[in-house]
Amino acid sequence: MRYDDPELRERLAAEYVLGTMPSRARRRFDRLIAADPVLARMVGDWADRLAPLDDATPAEAPRARVWRAIEARIAVAGAAPAATVPDPWFRSLAFWRGLAIAASLAAAVLVLYVALFAGRAPSPTVVAVLAGHGGEPGWVGLTGPRPGEVSFSAVAPPPEPKPHAFELWGIAGGPPRSLGLLPQQSGEAVALRAARLPPPGGVLAVSLEPAGGSPTGLPTGPVLYQGKVLVRAP
Amino acid sequence: MKIADPDTAPASALRLQKLIGAAARRDRAAFTALYTLTSAKLFGVALRILRQRQSAEEALQESFVAIWQRAGDYEPARGSAMGWLVTIVRHCAIDQLRRSTARPESRTAPEEALTALAAAGSADSGAELRALQHCLDELDEQPRRAVLLAYCYGLTREELAARLEVPVGTVKSWLRRSLERLQKCLEG
Repeated sequence: MRYDDPELRERLAAEYVLGTMPSRARRRFDRLIAADPVLARMVGDWADRLAPLDDATPAEAPRARVWRAIEARIAVAGAAPAATVPDPWFRSLAFWRGLAIAASLAAAVLVLYVALFAGRAPSPTVVAVLAGHGGEPGWVGLTGPRPGEVSFSAVAPPPEPKPHAFELWGIAGGPPRSLGLLPQQSGEAVALRAARLPPPGGVLAVSLEPAGGSPTGLPTGPVLYQGKVLVRAP
Repeated sequence: MKIADPDTAPASALRLQKLIGAAARRDRAAFTALYTLTSAKLFGVALRILRQRQSAEEALQESFVAIWQRAGDYEPARGSAMGWLVTIVRHCAIDQLRRSTARPESRTAPEEALTALAAAGSADSGAELRALQHCLDELDEQPRRAVLLAYCYGLTREELAARLEVPVGTVKSWLRRSLERLQKCLEG
């Protein structure tokens, strides 16, 4: 379609705002608007022409959980707006800030585990705690069950719909490396070779991915949980 | 008469502009304030289109995530802040409506609401709504209904054709001519 005809542009801007443009055409138009300030202005004018119709619609407060869900999602989206070409999350400031919260939580969970396992032999060591943005633990990495292994047990994984997967990533300087998928049922665990984990201080992150894991070999979904490797696993 | 300071009035255009600008700079507090000031109105709009609280809440959630992500795209020169917000919410709600499978009965838009909307010069409406109502009144009845059903309830061209019992091509030309006439009338 030619987008340089002023009448056509005006008509498309109007139908874009009215809502009668097919969804796929509208998304294409969204990209045009982002690159064309004059077209964006036409759209804005149409929105303002028709907006008074919304004044007649009664306002109604949404439930508090809507805001909680938005907050959780923008915490994950962090400093990477999707409209521009986003920096990957592992380079975003919000991610590293979130890590500080996760680290302090890890200490708390560590105390808990020491309390739970004290006096038992052989006692597993906490290698990492993967915490959500609110600080809630999702998975804990413990040494074992065999020497040279670390098992990640689901403590309270989020109730995401089943076609999704939680993928664990290790970051030590370079791009994230996949460490595999994490169990989704509380109490389940998956063991991996300790040598694959980043060294102590290295970062672990859990992203939400399509079933079967990231199709690209790099995280594609939001990071929901993160933590640091606390000790070198034997 | 008390004159509201445009900068401190609860949801003044200027205040919303500033909050969107701050949200673009990743200011969470500003984004929270933006939600507090606008969510009830925007939820009303989503609810009008989707009819069900659950879906309207999902659309509102999608919208605010998009608003956070796209805040940097908004510029005051591109129209009012509320117009920008409403457009995002309506599009999210319309997408959700088009995706949903269980929708036939929810598509029966109440005619009374449309009549009320299009009733020129109701006492409690603002100057802008009165001007728009006046211009809508200048349209023929069927094309006016098509415009209102599309804007207020998110009907597609095909659904409008079925609802108004005319071919899709007729709906398309009604919409095109009606929008042209509205623009002329509002600017005249």
